[in-house]
Amino acid sequence: MAMLRKLTPYLFVAPLMIFITVFTYIPILASLNLSFREWNFLSPDMPFVGLRNYEQLLSSRELWNSLWVTTLFAILSVPLRLGLALVIANYLIRESVHSRLLRGALFLPSVTSTVSIAVVFSWVFSTDYGMVNAILGMLGLGKVQWLQDPHLALWVLIFVNTWKQLGYDIVIYIAGLQAIPQELYDAASIDGCRRLHVFRRVTLPLVMPATYFLLVISVIEAFQVFTIVNVMTRGGPAGATDMLVNLLYEIGFVLFDIGRGSALAVMLFVLLVALAILKSRIIGRKVHYEA
Amino acid sequence: MKPESPLLASLALVAGIVFLSPVLYSIWISFQTANAYYAGEVGFTLDNYGRAVGQYNFARYLVNSLIVSGLVTLLGITFATMAAYAFARYSFRGSNFLFGATVATLMIPSHISLIPNYLSLAKVGLLDTYAGLILPAISNGFAAFFLRQYIRGIPRSLDEAAYMDGATPLRVLWRIIVPLSRPAIASMALYIFMTEWNSYIWPLVAVGDQDLYTLQIGLARLYRINPGEGLVDWPLVMAASTITILPVLLGFLLVERHLVRGITMGAVK
Amino acid sequence: MSRKLHSTIAVSIVALFASVGVAEAATTVKFWHSFNKSSGQALDKIVQNFEAANPDIDVEAEFIGNYNDIIAKLQAAIPARRAPDAVILEVTRYGLFANNNILTDLTPYFDADPLKADLYEYAQEVGVISGKNYIVPFNSSTPVLYFNKDIFERAGLSADTPLKTFDEILTATKTISEKLGSEGISGIAAPGQFARWGLVMANDSELVDPKSGEIMLDKPNTIEAYQWMASLVHDNKVASPDGVTDEDNGRDAFLARKVGIMFNSTGNYGEAKKAIGDNLVVRAMPCNKACSVPIGGAGIGIMATSSKEVQDAAYKFVSYAASPEANAIWFAATGYLPINKKSGGLPVAKEALATQPGIDVAIDSLPNAHGRARTTVVTWMRTTEYKMWQAMALGQQKVDETMKDFAEQTRAEEKRVSN
Repeated sequence: MAMLRKLTPYLFVAPLMIFITVFTYIPILASLNLSFREWNFLSPDMPFVGLRNYEQLLSSRELWNSLWVTTLFAILSVPLRLGLALVIANYLIRESVHSRLLRGALFLPSVTSTVSIAVVFSWVFSTDYGMVNAILGMLGLGKVQWLQDPHLALWVLIFVNTWKQLGYDIVIYIAGLQAIPQELYDAASIDGCRRLHVFRRVTLPLVMPATYFLLVISVIEAFQVFTIVNVMTRGGPAGATDMLVNLLYEIGFVLFDIGRGSALAVMLFVLLVALAILKSRIIGRKVHYEA
Repeated sequence: MKPESPLLASLALVAGIVFLSPVLYSIWISFQTANAYYAGEVGFTLDNYGRAVGQYNFARYLVNSLIVSGLVTLLGITFATMAAYAFARYSFRGSNFLFGATVATLMIPSHISLIPNYLSLAKVGLLDTYAGLILPAISNGFAAFFLRQYIRGIPRSLDEAAYMDGATPLRVLWRIIVPLSRPAIASMALYIFMTEWNSYIWPLVAVGDQDLYTLQIGLARLYRINPGEGLVDWPLVMAASTITILPVLLGFLLVERHLVRGITMGAVK
Repeated sequence: MSRKLHSTIAVSIVALFASVGVAEAATTVKFWHSFNKSSGQALDKIVQNFEAANPDIDVEAEFIGNYNDIIAKLQAAIPARRAPDAVILEVTRYGLFANNNILTDLTPYFDADPLKADLYEYAQEVGVISGKNYIVPFNSSTPVLYFNKDIFERAGLSADTPLKTFDEILTATKTISEKLGSEGISGIAAPGQFARWGLVMANDSELVDPKSGEIMLDKPNTIEAYQWMASLVHDNKVASPDGVTDEDNGRDAFLARKVGIMFNSTGNYGEAKKAIGDNLVVRAMPCNKACSVPIGGAGIGIMATSSKEVQDAAYKFVSYAASPEANAIWFAATGYLPINKKSGGLPVAKEALATQPGIDVAIDSLPNAHGRARTTVVTWMRTTEYKMWQAMALGQQKVDETMKDFAEQTRAEEKRVSN
C-alpha cells in the first residue's frame, strides 16, 4: 500500500514522459547518430562518415543562403509584427463594440489553417488573376510578378506571415496593456504629457514583458516557418525564400540525403536552443529589473 | 461598455472587412463557375463544393482531420492533466528533473524528430495509419506546464478533505482538480486541437495513402496538381480551402473568449 | 453444448478460409503512375481492358503526381515498406532504384516475351542498364515545338515562319511579345526541364554523355544553350517567369492561349489539341547546331520486394500496356510516340494520324532521337537542376559560373553515390 502510494506520482507522469521520451528525446539522439552517416533510404547499410555531412553543409552555398534568408525574414518580420501590434492594441484596448469587432477580425487569421491562408494568398498575389494585381490595374498600374521575382517573394511571405500572426500579437499586447494601472495614465495626463509622450514614457516600458514574450516566440517561429514556403514558393524563386526548414525538408525528403538532412536538423536544433537560452536569460534579467 | 458613435462602429466594420477581404473574396470565388470567374462575370454554383467533396475526396479528409485532431486532443489533454497534477501536488524523487524535461520540450524544434520519427514509425509499420499521425503529436509539454501552474493555484485543503473521506488520488483528480481547472483545461484542449488541425509537415511526410490525408495535406496537394484544364481551377481550390477553414472558423466564433483568455493566461504569466 | 460450440467454430473457420481463398484468387497489383486529366482517362481505359481480359488480376492504379513526385514518394516508401508493386519511372531516373536493387531485373520476362521483337529499337533500349532490363517502356516521347497559329497571325507572323535556329525562334517570340504583350500574351513559355535537355542537344551537346557517363554540364555548347534559354526570360523578357518557378505554369499558359510558342513533350499533344483546337501547330525541335532530340517518357518497373506471383501478374500488365492494342489507344489519346511497330496499323491510330495534324511530328523526328544517360547521379542532377535554372533564368546568377558550379557539384555527388 505504501509502495503504491510512492508509485502514484510516477504512474501519473508516466504516459506523458513515455511519449516525450520516445518522440522527442530519443529522436534527438537518433538524428545525431544519422548525421554522422551516409544513407539514402535505399541502400541496406549506412556507413559512418564522420563529420563529412557537416563539412559539406557548411561549405555549401545553399546553407548560407538559407541562413541569410531566414535571418532576413526574422529581422524584417519581427519588428513589423510587434510594432504594428502594439500600435493597434493601444488603439483597441478600450472596450467597445467596434473594438471587439476589429479584435475578432484581426485575431481570426491566427487560428485559421495556414495551408488555406497560403493558398488564398497564392491567388491574391498571382500574376494574372490575382487580387493585388487587379487593384493595381484599377489604379492604372502594371502587373507585378510577386511570387516570381526573387526580390519580392520574401516580402510577400513576410506580409502573409504578418497578416496571419498579427491578431495573436495584438491580443497579447492588449492583455499587457490592460495590466497597466490606470493611475499611471492619470498621473501622466495631470503632468500634461502629450499622447505620444505618454506612449513612450508609460506604455512602452510597462509592456516590456509582453514585448519580450512576443519577441521570443516570433523569432523562434520565424526560424521554423515552413508551411507557407512549401505551399507558396517551394523555396524559390532561385532560392529567395529557401528558409531553413524548407531546406531541411528538401534535403531529407526530396533528395533523401538522410545524413546531411540530419546534420542540418542538429544544427538547427542547436541554433534554436541557443537562441531560446539567450532569450530566457535576457528576459529573466529584464523582468527582474522591471519588478 | 460605453455608447459610441455609429460612424466609428461602421468604420471598424469596414476596416475588419478590408483586412479579411482575401479570405472573404476567396469564399465568394468558391461559389463561382470557373468560366464565369475567368471571364470576369458572375455565375453562382454549388458545383465546386460537390466536386471537392465527391471527386476530390474532401469529405474523407474532413473526417480524417476530425479523427486525428480529436484523438490527439483527447489523449494529449488527458496525459498533460495527469502529469500536471502529479507535478503540482506530489514531491517525488526526480520530479524536478522530469518537470524540467517536460518544460524543455518547449524549446526543442519539432523538426529534429522528423526523420527519426519517420524511420521508427516505418519500422513498426505505423506510417499510413491514424496511429502514425496521432502518436508523435500527443505529448504536449506546454499544456502540462500550463496546467501545473493552474493546479497549484487550487487550495490544497480541498484535496485533503477528500482524502479524509477516503478518496483515491485518481478520484481526487477527477472529482476535484479537473472540475476546478475546467477553464484552463478547456483552453489548453482548444489550443491542442487547433495546433493539430493545422499541423502540416508531419502529415506531409507520414502519410502517403490518399485515404488518410488530412485537410491540410489534401488542400496543398489539390492546389499543387492543378486539376484545371490549363489555368488553375481557382473556384474549385477555393471551395476546398473554404471547407478547410470553416470548421475552425465556426469553432472560433463559439469559443473566441475561451481561446483569447487561454492565450493571454499563458503569455502574461 | 461445448461440442456444438466447437463445431460452430470449426464451420466458421472453414467459411473464413473459403472467403479468404476467394479473395486471393484475384492477384492485386498496386500501380503508381503520373497521368491525370485526359491521359489519366486513357490509362484507365487500358487498365479496364486489361482487367477484362485477365479477370484474375486486379490492377489498383493510383495517380501520384509528376515524375519527380513519384521518385520522391517511392524513395520515401522503401524504408516504410509501402512501395507499390509496379511503378512508372522516368527513363533517366530509374538508375538510382535499379542500382540499389529496388527494381527487379525484368530481363528474363522481357527476353521471353514476343512483345520485345515488336517494339521499336529505341523502345527496346530504354530500360537497359549494363545489359539488364529494369523497365519496359509505356509512354515514350520526344520534345516538339508547339505554336498557336492564331497568335502568330495576330502578331503578323505567317504559319510557316522559320523556326529552326535559336535566332529565328527569338525573332518570332520578340515579334509576338512586342505586338501582343499589351494583351497579356508572351512570345514563348519558359522551357521545362525535358525541353531544356532537348535544347542542349539541339546545340550539339549533352548534360551527361549517354555512353561514357561523363558530366557535360560545363561544356561550352551546354552553357551556350542555357545562356540562350535564360535570355528568353531575363534579358529579352519574351517568356514569363511564371513558367520558371513552376514549369507547369508555362504549359498551362500555352493551353490558355496566353503564349505563342512552347517546347514540350509530344505527350502534351492531346491536351494541347483539346485546348487550342485547329490553331495548334506542331513542328520539330530546332536544329541550332545539330538535329538531335532526347527520348523521354517513362517505363514501368516492378519492385523486387513483391512476391513472385504478384511480379508475374504485374509483368502481364506491363506487357499488355506496351501491346499494339493498348499502345494505339494511348498514342491516339495523348500524342505519346508509338512504341510498338504494330500500333500504327490499328484503326484507332490510323484515325488519329489522319485527323490530328501534327501528332506525327515526333514520329518523324525519331531518326534524330537519342537515349539519354541513366546513371545513379542523374536523379540527383535533375532534382538540383531546377534550382540552378531558376537562379540563371531569373538573373540571380551568371549562367557560365552557375553551370560550372553545377558540374562540380554533380561530379562530387557522383563520387559520393558510387562509393
